[in-house]
Amino acid sequence: MARQDRMTSPERMADLLGGRPIDRVPLFLFAKGFSAVNVGYPVASVVNDPEKSFRAQVWTQEMYGHDEEPRLSYAIYGGWEFGGEVKFPTGEFAQAPSISRYPVQSEADVEKLKLPDVKTAGILPLMMEFCRLQEKAGRPIVPSFESPFTTAGNICGVSTLCRWMLKRPELVHRLLRLATDHVLEMMRYWVETFGAERLRPNEGAPTESNNMISAKHFAEFAFPYVKELHGKLLAMGVKHIASHICGEQNANLPYWAQVPMGDPGIVSFGHEVDLATAVKYFGDTCVIAGNIQPAVIQTGTPEQVYQLCGQALAKAKYAPRGFILMPGCELSPLTPPHNVYMMKKAVTDFGWYEAVPSDV
Amino acid sequence: MASAERTQEILKGLREAVVAYDEEAAARLSKAALAEGVSAYDAVRQGLAAGMEKVGEMFAKHEYFVPEVLLCSDALYAGLDILRPHIRAGDASEVRKQIVLGTVEGDVHDIGKNLVKIMFEAAGWLVHDLGTDVKLEKFAEEQARTNADIVGLSALMTSTMLAMPRVIQMIKARSPGAAVMVGGAPLSPEIARQYGADGYARNAGEAVREAVNMLSRLGTKG
Ligand code: B1M
Repeated sequence: MARQDRMTSPERMADLLGGRPIDRVPLFLFAKGFSAVNVGYPVASVVNDPEKSFRAQVWTQEMYGHDEEPRLSYAIYGGWEFGGEVKFPTGEFAQAPSISRYPVQSEADVEKLKLPDVKTAGILPLMMEFCRLQEKAGRPIVPSFESPFTTAGNICGVSTLCRWMLKRPELVHRLLRLATDHVLEMMRYWVETFGAERLRPNEGAPTESNNMISAKHFAEFAFPYVKELHGKLLAMGVKHIASHICGEQNANLPYWAQVPMGDPGIVSFGHEVDLATAVKYFGDTCVIAGNIQPAVIQTGTPEQVYQLCGQALAKAKYAPRGFILMPGCELSPLTPPHNVYMMKKAVTDFGWYEAVPSDV
Repeated sequence: MASAERTQEILKGLREAVVAYDEEAAARLSKAALAEGVSAYDAVRQGLAAGMEKVGEMFAKHEYFVPEVLLCSDALYAGLDILRPHIRAGDASEVRKQIVLGTVEGDVHDIGKNLVKIMFEAAGWLVHDLGTDVKLEKFAEEQARTNADIVGLSALMTSTMLAMPRVIQMIKARSPGAAVMVGGAPLSPEIARQYGADGYARNAGEAVREAVNMLSRLGTKG
């Protein structure tokens, strides 16, 4: 008979972050659109309908026995908040929202750009409503945003951002300044509303990947702002920041390792970053999470998923501050449930920390 | 008429201007080429386009990243805008080829698709760029409207990639002679074949070569 969990999910996560022993490796599913579809809701509801979003994620968490707190978030953060327009996913293959009009279209727009009102801008009222549901349920509260660099790309478009990095760096710095100050304002509002203790802020950082920019440009543009942002969030009393370092970021890791994440932080990686490398850079200060390729979870066989998870567990299970098994990026809503189950099966087969008599 | 030596100097200058993303030099040398009687066609092919091909290789080797490539393409276009109107119909050995290009519905990742577009334009193709999050039926409609040789589909997510077989069916149903090429990080040659695509390219540098090979394999308009 399969071994049973000895801890509830909240106990497991509290003890992991508190540095105490836990029963098994936690499992995060990074499953937003997937959760909506899983309970029969439209994919878009996970971002534009707080109640449905919360319910879908809680039910999916219960069904799969995973440990990730629900959240209302998107990778295009900044596009709507700074005054652009977004489109929620509709089609059969859609997974996430997209930006239909960027707030900044020209150099002159950068000058005119102002910090948005964090009580009314873009997705923030929906996120606040969602976080109140978390509060009511007595759960940790998860405000979500993107790194300053990714937010800047979402404000003016990534191609424009890239061109300005070389031709008009001062415009990029202004966007990064505004993006950083905006997230700080937003987080201040969250701290005032819920208190810093209960917050588990969650950040995504895809656009600074080395699929896009060099480590030199990461150091010049992305690094100083994300470092400042995290430092100030921790100074507000936030204890743990979860940062998803998305895509190919190997050359950026020496910089990321200098970004304060909390004690411990949680850093998650795509399949492009080897878990042994992640442990080397972050193992002493952060819980490591990752890095099962979402493409394999969607299109591979159950055996492939199970095997990849087994390998990941073998590599990172004993990371000094802990390990969380997780996909390398958001799961596609079209992922077959039996492949998701393979992730759960892998942690229940290989994820235990404590010996029980039958093991010996 | 420029001497052979001066011609080579201008062509080399054009290549270097693109690689060094020097828009001003690309424009200046393009004007010099015209003023000094260098064939506009040669200036594009052996100058600007050759430079852009080198940029594609540097990108594949991680010597250049997206910002550098985009600025190189700006230098390329600065030269093309000047030279293209002067290419005579008889210069090119064949009719200008056309590609309809876009990122499929539900997917907004456009950087890779834009790099592919640049490489096709550098190689002299006429590109009909449909942008991102393109409605599935739009690809077949645009191919039929333009009678393009190739339709190029890009997808960066495994979810949106699943739309590709349907798009390919729609294109083939409407224009059986049109060739379809697919690309994007989650694709592979095997997946491309399963989906019924005629070609696949791993990166922007390989895309044009693969397009030409694909057309000659299929014995269509190429
Ligand atoms: C026609 O013929 C051809 C031939 C060759 C072709 C071709 C066509 N098309 C491409 N090629 C080829 O040539 C190009 C040049 O050599 C190459 O193009 P590429 O596009 O591969 O390369 C580019 C030059 C650089 N690479 C990129 O531009 C992509 C980089 C990564 C980090 C990435 C980025 C930057 C972004 N993202 Co997103 N993003 C990731 C990416 C990680 C990765 N491993 O790819 C990926 C693609 N994203 C992912 C996800 C999940 C998402 N993203 C999202 C959003 C974003 C940003 C907006 C923040 C930004 C995109 C900005 C933009 N305007 O494009 C969301 C979706 C939005 C939407 N509706 O589409 C969101 C759902 C995240 C979320 N939580 O909301 C993952 C997909 C996983 C999956 N299911 O497959 C992902 C692989 C990350 C990961 N580590 O898993 C080749 O593939």
